[in-house]
Amino acid sequence: MSTATASAAAAATVPTPLARVLNEYRAGAAQGTGGPQEHAARERAALALEQVGWPSTRDEQWRYANLRALERVASFQPVSRVAPTATAAAALMDLPPPLPGFARLVFLDGIRHGPYALPAGVRSVAPQGAHAAQWSAAQRLGWLCEMFATDTAALEVAGEAALELLFVTSEASVERAVYPRLQLELAAGSRLQLVERHLGAPSGPAFVACNISIELARGALLTHYRTQQCGAHVSFTDSLDVRVADEAQYRVRQAALGAHDARTSARVRLAGHEARLLWHAIAVGRGEQVHDTTLQVLHAARATGSEQVFRGIADERARLAFSGHVHIDATAPGSEARQSLRGLIEGPGAEIDLRPRLEISIDEVRATHGATTGRLDENLLFYLLARGLDPATARALLKWAFLGDVLREIALPALRTEVERLAAGQLPDVLAVGAVT
Amino acid sequence: MNAPLLEIRDLAAQVGGQPVLRGISLSVGRGEVHAIMGPNGSGKSTLAHVLAGKPGYEITAGSVRFDGHDLLALAPEERARAGLFLGFQYPVEIPGVNNAYLLKAAANAARRERGLPELDAFEFLALVRGKMALMQIDESFLGRGVNEGFSGGEKKRNEILQMLVLEPRLALLDETDSGLDIDALKVVAHGVNSLRAADRSIVLVTHYQRLLEHIVPDFVHVLVRGRIAHSGDRSLALELERRGYDWIGEPAAA
Repeated sequence: MSTATASAAAAATVPTPLARVLNEYRAGAAQGTGGPQEHAARERAALALEQVGWPSTRDEQWRYANLRALERVASFQPVSRVAPTATAAAALMDLPPPLPGFARLVFLDGIRHGPYALPAGVRSVAPQGAHAAQWSAAQRLGWLCEMFATDTAALEVAGEAALELLFVTSEASVERAVYPRLQLELAAGSRLQLVERHLGAPSGPAFVACNISIELARGALLTHYRTQQCGAHVSFTDSLDVRVADEAQYRVRQAALGAHDARTSARVRLAGHEARLLWHAIAVGRGEQVHDTTLQVLHAARATGSEQVFRGIADERARLAFSGHVHIDATAPGSEARQSLRGLIEGPGAEIDLRPRLEISIDEVRATHGATTGRLDENLLFYLLARGLDPATARALLKWAFLGDVLREIALPALRTEVERLAAGQLPDVLAVGAVT
Repeated sequence: MNAPLLEIRDLAAQVGGQPVLRGISLSVGRGEVHAIMGPNGSGKSTLAHVLAGKPGYEITAGSVRFDGHDLLALAPEERARAGLFLGFQYPVEIPGVNNAYLLKAAANAARRERGLPELDAFEFLALVRGKMALMQIDESFLGRGVNEGFSGGEKKRNEILQMLVLEPRLALLDETDSGLDIDALKVVAHGVNSLRAADRSIVLVTHYQRLLEHIVPDFVHVLVRGRIAHSGDRSLALELERRGYDWIGEPAAA
């Protein structure tokens, strides 16, 4: 309790974001949600955040995040657990069509909504407390979610399954915060196709902080599609922590498209021999949007492999950043790592920062990285114009082609079409289908 | 309709302040095939680029009329839709954009311009299949990226395929023969010859006479230092083959 008193005193004199968060946490914690175990977990999270401190742009891992948006968050208090209001229900009217073969779970403002109909091979288990989570300094906002989240989807997968999780942010979240939380365990040899989508467009500022922890046991295969398509008033952050055991494979196809500002803080530990990570991501920003991703990959066992492919397009005054840090530990001989990061600047005031980083503690590894940022190639553009395509279509086509390295990894046609449509934004409709190989 | 399809008068252009074309005049009548030859750096490719509207060239003098209209006032895509086709010396690779899409988009842009209905997927396939066979291009190519991983010869055959699909009124073929072995050259020439028609003109830009054995021109012009130094019939090409370019002096300034 002495910690709480000290923070409250500090907050009275210096209203830092951290002090605000802790104040709001104390106020909310007094109302009490969950049992003593959950309370203890929240306390640990609050302590951890207090110790690591609020992120600063002076910190390499937070240099490109939109921390000012974070400072302007109206309230860190979660949307209360009440029956959906009419406006909340309205948010559910507008959901994308179901993906064929996928079971769908809906979370409204971070809280499980409607029947929890799990497909064969997936069962609900007791959530682990925050003591299980160990968010890194680059993922420190993960503690925020642990402090405030009121619901957790904890799932265990055995066998083969396809699951779609929709995280919907409703009108009830205006000037409030939303804390979706997912814990996922894949049993040995299991295979899961997981679609994780964040959507909803509240009419005023809302803050979303999502935590996802995943364990892949030996030989498991997870294909994880992630799309962030929130409305323009949402400040979005997600913390993702993944541990990959022997011969297991974790594939990510991520699309950051929406929100006012978005930050992904991911860490993947290749903990067992021949564990693999394939991370393919696109980000398309317009207006004043900020999309920032930090990915830390630790190769900790022999013959592990990782590949990172990032393609970002910044239009108008958008800012994109992708920081990919690969550490090949001394315990990981025979490992391979590849990074291909590319940015396309379209707008006069746009900015893209790509930072590949390799840290290698052993000789017998193969690691390559490339990072380039530039504008559309005028020679390619002229070729298309010389075939009679109008300039807007030609530019759009080249932007498509640029994203193609990632888009073609989306093996679900319905989802790919939807991501293409969203990414297209202002692009002509004619391009929505079939232009990209 | 006896007016020439293309009428170039005293055309001068520069790149980065350096004059490259220094007063070119050339008339290309309907149905005619002209070859423009010349040593490296004489301005042959620049002429093709300027006519197609490639950015980066400054027109300092002269005029170009295409079917009576001011060609230089048109944007590159407008020139293409009006029926001007540039076959590139170095066709670019565009990974991620598939050939079928580009061909169909290009064909439909041209059709819209002519007031014709756009092709649907079936009509497009029907149109393109026969032309692909003519150019000895496998159908699997339609789903591949534009020129992605193509050999030099495949890229050139693809250029001619695009030309066959677009059926231009004026084809400017920039060094279409460069980098081709004799078999590929024959395929390309066969494709070009299949398009020869009374209402279609062809301008071949080439360094070597070899192409002209397969696509026989009506007129041959020699470009030296940005001017047409000599014009003649097919025998001029043969003479160039025999004697090289050195004997042709620079023309006196007009």
